[in-house]
Amino acid sequence: MAAQTSTAGDRLRSILRVADLGRFGMIILLIIVLMGVVALVGAKENRVEVILASFLATLFSVATPLTLGALSGIYCERAGVVNIAIEGMMLGSAFFGFIASIYLKQAGLSDQMSLWLGVAAAILTGALFALLHAVLSITFKVDQIISGTVINILAIGITGYLNRQLFFQGNVPHAPGVLPVIHIPFLADLPVFGKIFQQQPVAVAAVLLVAITHFVLFYTPWGLHTRAVGEHPKAADTVGINVYFVRYANVLIGGMIAGLGGAYFTLESVPSFEPLMTNGRGFISLAAMIFGNWSPFGAWAATLLFGAAQAMQINLQYYSTSIPEGLDFLKKSQIVGMIPYILTMFALTGIVGRTTPPVADGQPYEK
Amino acid sequence: MKKNLFTLLSALAIVSLALAACATPAPVAPTAMPAKAFRIGLVTDVGKVDDKSFNQSAWEGAQCGAKETGGTTKYIETTDPKDYDKNIAQFGDEGYDVIVTVGFALGEATIKNAAKYTKAKFIGVDQFQEKPTAGVGGLIFPEDQAGFQAGVVAAMMSKTGQIGAVLGTDVVPPVYRFGEGYRAGAVWAKKDTKVNIIYHNDVGFDKTFTDPEWGKTTALSMMDKGADVIFGAGGKTGNGALLGVAQSKKGFAIGVDTDQYLTVPEAKEVLLTSAMKLIVPGTCDLIKAVKAGSFKDGNVVGKVGLAPFHDTESKVTAETKAKLDEAQKGLAAGTLKTNVAPVKPAK
Repeated sequence: MAAQTSTAGDRLRSILRVADLGRFGMIILLIIVLMGVVALVGAKENRVEVILASFLATLFSVATPLTLGALSGIYCERAGVVNIAIEGMMLGSAFFGFIASIYLKQAGLSDQMSLWLGVAAAILTGALFALLHAVLSITFKVDQIISGTVINILAIGITGYLNRQLFFQGNVPHAPGVLPVIHIPFLADLPVFGKIFQQQPVAVAAVLLVAITHFVLFYTPWGLHTRAVGEHPKAADTVGINVYFVRYANVLIGGMIAGLGGAYFTLESVPSFEPLMTNGRGFISLAAMIFGNWSPFGAWAATLLFGAAQAMQINLQYYSTSIPEGLDFLKKSQIVGMIPYILTMFALTGIVGRTTPPVADGQPYEK
Repeated sequence: MKKNLFTLLSALAIVSLALAACATPAPVAPTAMPAKAFRIGLVTDVGKVDDKSFNQSAWEGAQCGAKETGGTTKYIETTDPKDYDKNIAQFGDEGYDVIVTVGFALGEATIKNAAKYTKAKFIGVDQFQEKPTAGVGGLIFPEDQAGFQAGVVAAMMSKTGQIGAVLGTDVVPPVYRFGEGYRAGAVWAKKDTKVNIIYHNDVGFDKTFTDPEWGKTTALSMMDKGADVIFGAGGKTGNGALLGVAQSKKGFAIGVDTDQYLTVPEAKEVLLTSAMKLIVPGTCDLIKAVKAGSFKDGNVVGKVGLAPFHDTESKVTAETKAKLDEAQKGLAAGTLKTNVAPVKPAK
């Protein structure tokens, strides 16, 4: 009996370690604190459930591209390839997905069809950028940071240049709008909180991909191979795992997910493209990935925290007249903007504990 | 192998840099330049000359000026605030007659360059001149009055008695004046109107006007809490707010600077009107004044107005129109004051 308990305990501990549920919980707690502050301040003006529903809606839309970016990073880095090109991949995908949707619509396809094919084009763009990264960093063993930087600059250049060439004259064909809201049965019909479940497809996909990535990484042979290649490629090689293939495949998967993240900007959020519109979110995703200790749920929680930061800032400005005396600093949006990051630093150094990257992360593999 | 790789990488790097370079300033020559023509140069604020908003209006004004004076015009798009000075100097070095600098943020660089290039006349759009500088005309607008009128319409059209505004940063005085004018107008029209204003203050100058996704998210957040008319004022960020209202398919939106019915067609159905600064005629007139020799240093106050209601015309109530009329007459006659400070008061 005693032996059994200890096995169960061990198993629990190992699940906790693998999934980093402790980290996940800690970050969610931080988010709840931020939400609590907003709810307290706004309680005079709106009902609490309305505030919370609105807060969560903002949180999820801000977190969507970050979540996808972080997952992209996890696939690459778990296989031992550092990918700082997520920013560029998202920007490029946002642009080419948008362009594809516009021209497909012009070619006579329906709005819906052009949007979905636009998403496909965005994913493909992400994959192509990833292929470049893979060729450079896996086959040619270029320093992975440099390869990533090249892709980031390349994406800024290509999108900026083509955007000007195609759209400068002002006779831009009409964009087909944005992806439709998916009506999740039952949940979306809930009275106040229903609106949180009325999400567009990329946002839904992001959440599903978190769970899928967790399953793939920790419960499938493919995930085992991936982690083996990222931790100790030589050992993986000696047991017959094709290190190059596993790395290539994971970098491509990562690129496709980043491509989906790019689609969020121009096909799901707003039907327009701006140069540099990803606005550093690719790098924030990387931070979230590290904060989440390279685990899907940990990283997801971190992106939600960043989303909560944004939501808090918007809401505190909204309720600025209700902020009690003595808490005047909450009226300064610049300062409010910093609070979550400061909390993050505290959490990172003190509460959550150290993060450990995959051992072979960033090292090219030589046979 | 190593060498191949190096070549490949260098080639890539060069291509990217070349592309990046093409994407930035590269002035475009619209017409061949005759010798000794009257030349007008325009430097945008961070953003593009086809931003469907502020920069574009100034550029159209410059083109109008060129047409009226028989001159030619070129522009430089600023991609980084660090380049203001450099971009203005480029026109100065080439001996342009008029240099239009677009936006509050270029004010300092404009004054500095005016001292250096004394032959050129500078038109600083949105640049309030605290004291006159030789060769600099600041084209300013009473944005508070435009915002006031927008606020009147918003308050009268709101069913919930709650309206919102999604703005760029209040560090830029015209943005502040739009926002506070809007608040004043709403409260003047209906005393109990609840006005919520959210600025995108958490990012730098380079991002605050070019973040449509943030604008949309913020507009939706406001509507979640009961606001049903949203004023979007802040370049692409504001446009994002208009798009957000359009996507939610409830409530109304109000645009800014130009008639956004034409510039953000996706929001046609929900767009009530736009709080316009008549930048095109303002800039054009000043260029003509330079040519005619009647240009004066110091501030020139341009005109503001509201755009037509277009598609929402039938939904705008008679009361709204009457109230707006009253406001416009009062503002024009000077009997009605917005009481908005020209810049955000420091605490």
